Amino acid sequence: MIDVRDIRKSFGAVQALRGVSFQASAGQVVGLLGPNGAGKTTTIRVITGYLPPTSGFVTVDGLDSIEDTRAVRSRIGYMPESTPLYPEMRVEDYLRHRGRLFGMRRRALRLAIDRVIERCWLAEVRRRRTGELSKGFKQRVGLASALLHDPPVLILDEPTSGLDPTQIVETRRLVRDLGTDKTMLISSHILPEVELTCDRIVVIAHGQVRADGAITDLVRPDRGAGLYIIEARSRAAVATGAEDVIGVALRRLAGVAKVSENGALENGWRRYEIMPETDAPDLRERLASATQESGAIVRELRRDTPTLEQIFIRLIDAPGAEASESKSPELAAQGEEHA
Amino acid sequence: MSAALAIAQRELASFFRLPIGWVVIALYLVLTGLVFGMWTLRPGEPASMQSLFHLSGWLMIFVAPAISMRLISEELRAGTIEPLMTAPVSDWQIIIGKYLGGVGFLVAMLAPTLLFVVTLEIFSNPDYGPIVAGYVGLLALGMLYLAVGLLASALTSNQVVAFLGTLFFLLFMRIATTQGAAFLGPPLDRPLYALSVDLRMLDFARGVIDTGHLVFFIAASVWFTALAVVALESRRWR
Repeated sequence: MIDVRDIRKSFGAVQALRGVSFQASAGQVVGLLGPNGAGKTTTIRVITGYLPPTSGFVTVDGLDSIEDTRAVRSRIGYMPESTPLYPEMRVEDYLRHRGRLFGMRRRALRLAIDRVIERCWLAEVRRRRTGELSKGFKQRVGLASALLHDPPVLILDEPTSGLDPTQIVETRRLVRDLGTDKTMLISSHILPEVELTCDRIVVIAHGQVRADGAITDLVRPDRGAGLYIIEARSRAAVATGAEDVIGVALRRLAGVAKVSENGALENGWRRYEIMPETDAPDLRERLASATQESGAIVRELRRDTPTLEQIFIRLIDAPGAEASESKSPELAAQGEEHA
Repeated sequence: MSAALAIAQRELASFFRLPIGWVVIALYLVLTGLVFGMWTLRPGEPASMQSLFHLSGWLMIFVAPAISMRLISEELRAGTIEPLMTAPVSDWQIIIGKYLGGVGFLVAMLAPTLLFVVTLEIFSNPDYGPIVAGYVGLLALGMLYLAVGLLASALTSNQVVAFLGTLFFLLFMRIATTQGAAFLGPPLDRPLYALSVDLRMLDFARGVIDTGHLVFFIAASVWFTALAVVALESRRWR
């Protein structure tokens, strides 16, 4: 449905996109994920035909976004970031105006307005001026206007930014409802957002695609980044201050990058967090025998599945990224805030 | 075309939902009303709208930029240009729609001055030739000035810059093609006089609707409107 092929976009000397490619098949909900300034909005603007790419091309439903720009635009329902509206217009009038821009006939338009007003819970504000509405309502008006002409493709740029938690949950529910019969592209810099609403995510950083796949694929344990957790205790009672035999044994293992001991628990139990080296194989067996050989009793040994955040940060900081521009810590913090 | 009309309608309606529309109309009517009352509506004066048209020609330099300044600039500033330019509407349709919206407001602003004509009819026996021609000329002038203002509005997201830019350009042209031309003398004065709107307005005020003048105003308006399309289009490529 959406086919993005190696698009590049430069604004003067600034390269906003350096070869972005991805596809979204019909009915799929794709999350476009990346830190602020990664190129998400630019990518979306190229897809919607607002900006032509410097090179590369985009097709929607087999139509080129520049050559057949009118046909492409009429197939897309687009809600730009921060949903700009005309403040002096009433909700109803605004929707009517949008429908006319899409060439909708009077009767069909009236029905469509009723439909989107119901679907986006706008009945109570339909006679209000958009300038008087709260941020959440404005967002819904934007969504309603994107849905008005019943497009097969829906593109939402940061649909939940600036909303309060209740509104976020409502928007998510709405988006999930819509996802059943539309191809959707949702951009966000918030992880739980896409985790909850999208079938697939495309991670963009520094104008490039860093990862593309189902969420379950991206968090696959063999991609590393997860930690191993061991709780163990020496068989013999250990005097306080004595050498930590288990820790030494673990540190000596191949494939282990770092072992941190999380302090003594009760009755001499200790908790170790083992960070594997990048691309290390499954270490569980090795860790098990090493602890055993050091004469320890193990009460827990597990591998933590890395969170999407950990993976995300790794993808963004991956080689090729300019470290100076990286905003990952901030991003992780935001992710936690919204979780 | 229906998309352009939708844009024109929205634009026209928004003038009346915002203070700017009412302020412009009120100021224009107060000033023209004063002139009409003081100079035209006096015993012994000819029943003509000459002085009113003359004043309006000058007022247009201030009024037209006030109408046109927000046409595109406001969309650029508020970001509403993005949903507009991602709707299945060409840049031409956007500019035409905006222009028609501005022209519609201009007509709405001039319409109440017909009351002055009615007043003249009541008290005396006006000659309608110069009045009709005067309105045609005033409208042509206003449409040209709106096209210039539309171009300025498409170039900046700042309404004040759009207003002042248009105002200075119009004032400069007005002075350059009259006093400027007289000062420079031949051979430079001829092309400048050809660009003068004052001389053409004088003909209209005399009751002459010269096709040459109409062609001048229409061609110049189309030229500035086309430049506005280019200005809008170029935003995509920047």
